[in-house]
Amino acid sequence: MAHPSSLYRAGLTAFALLMAANTASAGETPREQWHRAAAQQYSALAGAAETLEQSTADYCDTPSTDGRATLEDDWLDAYQRWQAVRYVQFGPVEQQSRGWQLQFWPDGKNLVGRKVKTQLNADTPPTLEDVEQAGVALQGFPALEYLLYDDAMDATALKSPNACGFLSAVSTNLVHVTRALEDDWQSFGERFIGTDSYTHTLLQSAIQSVELLEEKRLASPLGLRGKPASIYRAEAWRSGKSVALMRASLEGLQKGLMPGLTALLESRGHPALANKLEKQLKEVAARADTLPDGLAPAIKGEGSGSEPEKKAAFADFQGFYVQLSQLRRLLARDVAAATGLRRGFNSSDGD
Amino acid sequence: MTVNRTRRRLLAAGAGALALPALPSLAWALPGRKHADWLFSAVDDARGNHRIAAITPNGEQHFTLAIPERCHGGCLSPTAPRAVVFARRPGQHFYVVDGDRREVSHRVAADGGHHFYGHGVFAPDGRYLYVTANRLEDAMGLVRVYDAEDDYRHVRDIELDGIGPHEIRLLPDGETLAVGLGGIKTHPDYGRVKLNLGEMDPALLLVNRQSGEVIARHRPSHHQLSCRHLDVAADGTVLAGYQFQGPEWETHPLLCRLGPDGAFSELALGEALTASLQQYTASVAVSRRRALALVTAPRGHKVIMLNYQSGALLAEYALADAAGARCDGAGGFVVSSGRGGLYRVTPGTPSAAALADLALQWDNHLT
Repeated sequence: MAHPSSLYRAGLTAFALLMAANTASAGETPREQWHRAAAQQYSALAGAAETLEQSTADYCDTPSTDGRATLEDDWLDAYQRWQAVRYVQFGPVEQQSRGWQLQFWPDGKNLVGRKVKTQLNADTPPTLEDVEQAGVALQGFPALEYLLYDDAMDATALKSPNACGFLSAVSTNLVHVTRALEDDWQSFGERFIGTDSYTHTLLQSAIQSVELLEEKRLASPLGLRGKPASIYRAEAWRSGKSVALMRASLEGLQKGLMPGLTALLESRGHPALANKLEKQLKEVAARADTLPDGLAPAIKGEGSGSEPEKKAAFADFQGFYVQLSQLRRLLARDVAAATGLRRGFNSSDGD
Repeated sequence: MTVNRTRRRLLAAGAGALALPALPSLAWALPGRKHADWLFSAVDDARGNHRIAAITPNGEQHFTLAIPERCHGGCLSPTAPRAVVFARRPGQHFYVVDGDRREVSHRVAADGGHHFYGHGVFAPDGRYLYVTANRLEDAMGLVRVYDAEDDYRHVRDIELDGIGPHEIRLLPDGETLAVGLGGIKTHPDYGRVKLNLGEMDPALLLVNRQSGEVIARHRPSHHQLSCRHLDVAADGTVLAGYQFQGPEWETHPLLCRLGPDGAFSELALGEALTASLQQYTASVAVSRRRALALVTAPRGHKVIMLNYQSGALLAEYALADAAGARCDGAGGFVVSSGRGGLYRVTPGTPSAAALADLALQWDNHLT
């Protein structure tokens, strides 16, 4: 997952596996399929977090250029595995605000930057307990991203005891949170599988995640929502991996959402819609594979591209945006209608 | 609207105990009064724009006012044709609606160091407005006091020694505030992220509005039972609803009762019904006439009616995205839905009767 160039092939392989899984799991209900798929995704996330913790320890023991490259790869891999299962926004991930602990975003006030900077200026590095108590801006992938990529961190700063201590504490906290998610998702299985209303809960959650992708993660930083384009509204702008994360989300929907949803739509007499959706998701994912890892090439004043290059890149992103909007409409309108899903007001966002 | 003279006479007679000054021109609903001529609610319109809606309880007339942020609860002035509607957590303003002119007369800002939680209540003489708020520097839960006779100038704060005060009502003694202390820490920098789910300390509070003293602090049976919404009966009984912030596979009581004798208890509705409410209650409305209460559960798409004295469940009604609730002045209740409907729920009838269906998403509270 760390190497975007291989993602399309990986996607095809995943698709083939998915078709095989569909056949193999013919006796499963849609919610059983969803539960199993998300269990695999949470397990992969926890595994990737452990790998990241190990490469953090290795790097801090013996700092090297290779070690740092491994660390960056492992950070992205774990971050992408989180994106892959981010469509599940209910259940164990809501406990203790775990979703926010993994990724505090949007961060309009740059809390991550401000708080990490303050932490780095402290006399001693934070302990694991400090990080657990520190709040969501100092936990999770964005805080690690600052340490790995922010301009304020020059090439050697990561080796300092403060930065390394912080890096270790955050990566260990990530292991704890993701393991707890994995375990709790298992425990949650009986209730999820046995309670009919979770079908709509899962669909609503997945639709919201696609809306977030379209609106906040893509359209807003690209300047398609009134305000001028700004890289700072993008996710993972420090590392320039915004699009790499989007790819992982789309792949996560293919693996996690689609098997159960296809089965559900077929059982309700909508096989054509299931096909259409699968095709659209595949096209969107393929389109994402042709894009650069970050949004900077399409944003004026960012990076090094010439004016015509920027225009061309922006046009590519617009094409992706149009495809993504079609996917969102298919889900929010057609799938919702076919499955009797009505969006709530207070039921989904009350106080 | 036309003023119903008969109703106004009835009101004048019924409200004698409160020694009312001259009746306001719109014949407004007063706390404890039997009739309500307009109901207010925060709504979103079909385009997702935020508005304040006013509707007659029969659903026949309504008007809306545009506002720039999503609001939540509200309260009525007991002495003037004014409603106040509060921005929802982490809210930056409250809005005073002039009912005669059908416009927003005041937009009052929380200063930079505070945010509102979406609820407030007037003193019986209509002068002071008590608003639940968060002091950001130390997350102290406050009741902020504003002077309605001085353009809603902030006059003082009551500290609650706890986090996240939410709905607030006045007891019949006119002196004691009942406050649902939600226990959840939020900060505008973090949007709606719940910052302290591991160490919540919610409670149902009684507070003297003059001295600011917290007279009673009743903690729920689990530290993640966020005490949010409440109503007060004519005998001083407080009924409050919880929202459980812990694992959704656990089942905990979602209602508590504080009797006029000071006895605090939680009401068990039974495992299956409790589980079906999906850890979430929205509005609580207590009848002024009988020992009846109504609770809405938008996630469970349900309304439940119970005897608040005995705790006995009397009826369940299926109502999608059930939201606001209040007494209808005739022994029943008016209930709104996030899907646009306004309903009457009458004891002894098997289902909610539709009064209106508007292209509005009603927020969780009717005022």
